Amino acid sequence: MLQTTLGSLRLQNPILSASGTFGSGWEGRQFSDLGRTGGLVSKTVTVLPRHGNPPPRIQETPAGMLNSIGLENKGADWFLADTLPKMKQLAAGGAGPRIVINIGGESIDEFVQLAERFSAAGVDALEVNLSCPNVQEGRLLFSTEPRLTEQAVRAVKRVATVPVFAKLSPNVTDVTVIAKAAEQGGADGITAINTLIGMAIDWRKRRPILGRGIGGLSGPAIKPVALRMVHDIARTVRIPVIGVGGVRSADDVLEFVCAGARAVQVGTAMFTDPTLMVRIVDDLRERLAAAGTTIDELCGSVHRPVPPAPGACQPDQGRGACV
Amino acid sequence: MLARPMESRVHRLLRCRDLGGGSFALEVDGPIPPTAPGQFYMLRTEHRWPVQLPRPFSLYDRAPDGSWGSFLVKPVGEGTRALCSLSPGDGVVLNGPLGQPFPRDVADPVCVAGGVGLAPFLLLAREAKAKGAPVRLLFGGRNRAALAGLEDLEPLARVHTSTDDGSHGFRGMVTGLLEDMLQKGEVRAGDVVFCCGPDPMMHAVAKLCEKLGLRCFLSLETYMACGYGVCNGCSVRVQGARFKGWPYSKTCMEGPVYESCELVN
Ligand SMILES: Cc1cc2nc3c(=O)[nH]c(=O)nc-3n(C[C@H](O)[C@H](O)[C@H](O)COP(=O)(O)OP(=O)(O)OC[C@H]3O[C@@H](n4cnc5c(N)ncnc54)[C@H](O)[C@@H]3O)c2cc1C
Ligand SMILES: Cc1cc2nc3c(=O)[nH]c(=O)nc-3n(C[C@H](O)[C@H](O)[C@H](O)COP(=O)(O)O)c2cc1C
Ligand code: FES
Repeated sequence: MLQTTLGSLRLQNPILSASGTFGSGWEGRQFSDLGRTGGLVSKTVTVLPRHGNPPPRIQETPAGMLNSIGLENKGADWFLADTLPKMKQLAAGGAGPRIVINIGGESIDEFVQLAERFSAAGVDALEVNLSCPNVQEGRLLFSTEPRLTEQAVRAVKRVATVPVFAKLSPNVTDVTVIAKAAEQGGADGITAINTLIGMAIDWRKRRPILGRGIGGLSGPAIKPVALRMVHDIARTVRIPVIGVGGVRSADDVLEFVCAGARAVQVGTAMFTDPTLMVRIVDDLRERLAAAGTTIDELCGSVHRPVPPAPGACQPDQGRGACV
Repeated sequence: MLARPMESRVHRLLRCRDLGGGSFALEVDGPIPPTAPGQFYMLRTEHRWPVQLPRPFSLYDRAPDGSWGSFLVKPVGEGTRALCSLSPGDGVVLNGPLGQPFPRDVADPVCVAGGVGLAPFLLLAREAKAKGAPVRLLFGGRNRAALAGLEDLEPLARVHTSTDDGSHGFRGMVTGLLEDMLQKGEVRAGDVVFCCGPDPMMHAVAKLCEKLGLRCFLSLETYMACGYGVCNGCSVRVQGARFKGWPYSKTCMEGPVYESCELVN
């Protein structure tokens, strides 16, 4: 009932963690049985260590939060030696959650290096964080240019031996154009959306609150935006879509599924409740059983015409058809 | 597989004790896992939590058998106000214990607290008293009303107070009190200071300790999102061997207690 597929990748259920919001999963393992999740997505890994942005890095906002972590991570060598074995332990030898490694590069070459190394390390899939500046193109973000998106995805696909998902930024004029470019580049799926760029200001200090000035907005505040984008992308591309943005409950998940998502990631809400993913899996099972449906059947249902309810009055049946 | 006894569960509020000065002791039912002084919990109300993120609080007190615990909370914003307006029987969600405590191997620390920075010292005072060696606690506030929790600590520690207006104890800042005690020989070279309170106070105490050549440990009240190490939002700038050259440290994992010489402003 809960099973879903992302191309060739089978998931025991559609619930994954969102990159950067659940570490490697290891930090939260005491709180619940992560073996019951659909997948764990790592924080973005870069080739070299990155110290990240100056604090303050987070600020709560109405129905959400801003963050400017700056991809703090210890780099690929450290990740492969230290973190990946832990993630594999959580995945319990392949029976449980899928291990998805989110990679970030500042050049095509860095993306390729990461894709090669992580494919060889036996992960289940790669998620390409396209919200990264390309140093060869004046630090233009990969995610804002269809051409750069396609290039990065194509380069990763050329060397990757596991499915590749392209994670898109919402900070663009038309996200479907970017999604199409990712599909063209050979992506096996689209993850949408990353955070929306925002700002918080302390007027008494006459300064932005975050150390870097700007940050990414996440949480329930962005759910309607994410739903709309998943809806539009699902209508545009043929590859599966993974929905992310403001998910806090099984109902939120099912909304994304109706919009066309085959799987859903839980991000910011994990900060509030570290047991949430597993609780959502339980609630999902209940909701689907009560409604007598499955993830497969619900997926993309808003794009299909409403089926006539049994016994419902049909306009073309004329007067007197219903009592 | 359980590395530490961490939990995330709903507890019932037993009572919300008014400590005066606008602060409350929120007493919740157990089980409260063993918690070392300086460790904290992420709290939120079970229903109608008005904000997104849970809020960090030091554990204030705990029954020896863990059957209840309490938090010292001062309402300063939406989250703390919601916690302080709960009624007995209402649910409070706790994640914890989290973070690293004050060093466990300091025999007779000088505890310096300001305002709700008193919170981590009650457990510490209780432990020391049980060993027959009550700790020195320097407790500072603007005035008598700001010394919320004083009555709870007086039976457990050798308490010295300071108020800006002289309405209780030493007149002046807690740093003045510390210097005064040094002069009287009640604080000596080689003593180790544990400090928790508002940022400006911790700055002043750390500077004074540096001048006096005393080691000083601070418990930071950094803004946090997750509290369990997954968001990288609580990082502070640090230096020192234990960070292996990395310039940032997650307050919720390696802190909230740092030796003052480890912190870089
Ligand atoms: C490890 C740790 C232990 C703590 N222990 C206690 C305790 O025992 N008792 C207690 O009363 N408080 C404690 N705090 C502080 C407490 O977490 C904040 O007061 C609380 O998060 C404020 O939430 P709010 O929603 O009420 O306020 P908000 O609406 O979030 O903010 C209101 C005001 O408080 C300031 N503020 C918000 N968060 C913090 C913070 N973490 N530190 C300092 N100022 C802040 C904001 O800048 C704003 O001016 C602790 C903090 C940490 C990190
Ligand atoms: C603190 C924080 C850190 C994040 N770090 C990353 C990251 O390293 N890589 C990435 O692709 N997305 C990152 N994201 C974005 C999330 O994965 C997700 O796309 C976004 O937060 C929207 O989902 P949410 O509303 O459920 O949090 C981060 C988000 C937050 C809040
Ligand atoms: S508060 Fe999230 S890592 Fe420390």
